[in-house]
Amino acid sequence: MTSIQPFGGFGLGLRKTHYADFLESHVEVDFVEVISENYMIDGGKALRVLEDVRARHPVIIHGVSMSIGSAQGLDADYLDRLKQLEQRIDPLWVSDHLCWTRTSAHNSHDLLPLPLSNEALDVVCDNIDRAQSHLGRPMLFENPSSYVTFPEDELTEWAFLSEMTRRTGCYLLLDVNNIYVSAQNHGFSADDYLNGLPLDRVRQIHLAGHTPRGERGDFIIDTHDRAVCDDVWDLYGQARAMIAQPVATMIERDDKIPPLPELLTELDQARSLASNAMAGLSA
Amino acid sequence: MTSSQTLLHAQQAFMAQVLDDDQPVPDNWSERQAAGMDVYRQNYRSAVIDAVTSTYEQTRQWVGEEMFQRAAIHHVIAHPPSGWTIDDAGAGFAETCQQLFADDPAVAELAWLEWAMLGASRAAEATPLSMEDFGQATAQFGDEDWASMTIEFLPGVAARPLQHDLHAMWQALAAGLQQRPETTLQDTRGCIVWREAERPTFMMVEADMVLALQSALAAMPYGEICLELAGDNPDEQTLHDAAMRAGAMLGQWLQERLIVGLNA
Repeated sequence: MTSIQPFGGFGLGLRKTHYADFLESHVEVDFVEVISENYMIDGGKALRVLEDVRARHPVIIHGVSMSIGSAQGLDADYLDRLKQLEQRIDPLWVSDHLCWTRTSAHNSHDLLPLPLSNEALDVVCDNIDRAQSHLGRPMLFENPSSYVTFPEDELTEWAFLSEMTRRTGCYLLLDVNNIYVSAQNHGFSADDYLNGLPLDRVRQIHLAGHTPRGERGDFIIDTHDRAVCDDVWDLYGQARAMIAQPVATMIERDDKIPPLPELLTELDQARSLASNAMAGLSA
Repeated sequence: MTSSQTLLHAQQAFMAQVLDDDQPVPDNWSERQAAGMDVYRQNYRSAVIDAVTSTYEQTRQWVGEEMFQRAAIHHVIAHPPSGWTIDDAGAGFAETCQQLFADDPAVAELAWLEWAMLGASRAAEATPLSMEDFGQATAQFGDEDWASMTIEFLPGVAARPLQHDLHAMWQALAAGLQQRPETTLQDTRGCIVWREAERPTFMMVEADMVLALQSALAAMPYGEICLELAGDNPDEQTLHDAAMRAGAMLGQWLQERLIVGLNA
């Protein structure tokens, strides 16, 4: 299995609202990320737009439905469709989430939590081996945000991710907002989390906004519907200062999507924080 | 039981709890864990209902927000999605509408139209035959070639009989539904949906064209389509009229650029 070379840059998720911006002007990003499933189709406008954008920018394909934690294994049709898209787009890399989404009968279309058990780790690693073998390339997996922990948990999430990368050769997509959300929801230390990860395996960072505690009960909810908050920016700066290699950083917005300039301003803040962090690393 | 079977059963139980608010959480869960499950339930419900809403925007406008939400909730409870694409959460919604809006059957036809348009919007690319291409392809055809000819259509083409005037409904919706049009058709007609360049579109046609198109889509040879149009025990004049009618339909399908190939 080949390795994924570090790629340093700043990008945005490509959303339908911004198609015209990307097609009709030069947008100051180093890459765009798309939700794989939106383009795992046979034809039509969405695919044509993606191909046009691909001609201008490197593209990352980021999935939400691989269900890498499914005990019943992976969906062969899904893998075939993903491979077709991967061959069509030639992305920087292919990513998905450490979660599960489906059983043989139903699909939740939500990123459901896994027990952090050795049993689940075996399932995840077997599934990653199959996915990477099918695609012929290593993948990135994103740390989840979650609202439930399980009595069966045997590992910390960072120990689970470390062992997962060691056993499969996959890489990490570090979602800093997800670390913050889960740390707040489950009462663990974000510092411990970052210190416990194999940060040399990180190739990409996600930044996003969340719904604070109190708006929807006693949990912070990972909603991607507002700007990145100060605490998450701080954690990003901290994480960035701990990662020696270049990484691709992006702002993720999936709901209440603002005009593009607003997201580009947030991206500038990420550039500035990363620059400060890198200056600290080299000092 | 192997370890992955244990996880499998745990995931089946978790999914059942996500899909059904009345399913109890495990006995050994704390109140906080139960509250966490509620977040997943809400996330699931809102994601799939948003997906249904996004596919059926015109139907939503036609029946009104409150009625649509009720119908969408009923649909996702009765038919939880199983496919990997969330778009499929809207599969079968026309049948749900047929059941729930029995006193306004136009709703189910409108929902069918929107589902067919979604299918056309993401169908594979194909190059339609021009009149000239068709002329060249059939220039050497004898009677047997015509009789055995099957027609390939653009991917995503769909057709159904109609009892309601979808064209008038669509126009009224585009105008913000300031006036509700008369929707019931005096005679059954039909609707054909396809993608024109990047835009899904539809037209209303005579009922016999829908039946012929459905047969042609199912790879029925052209000669048999002519016989089908002629009905049972046709006389010579009826056969002649049916062949003329089939020829006119073929011409219209070519004109609308629905045909991508011929097999004889």
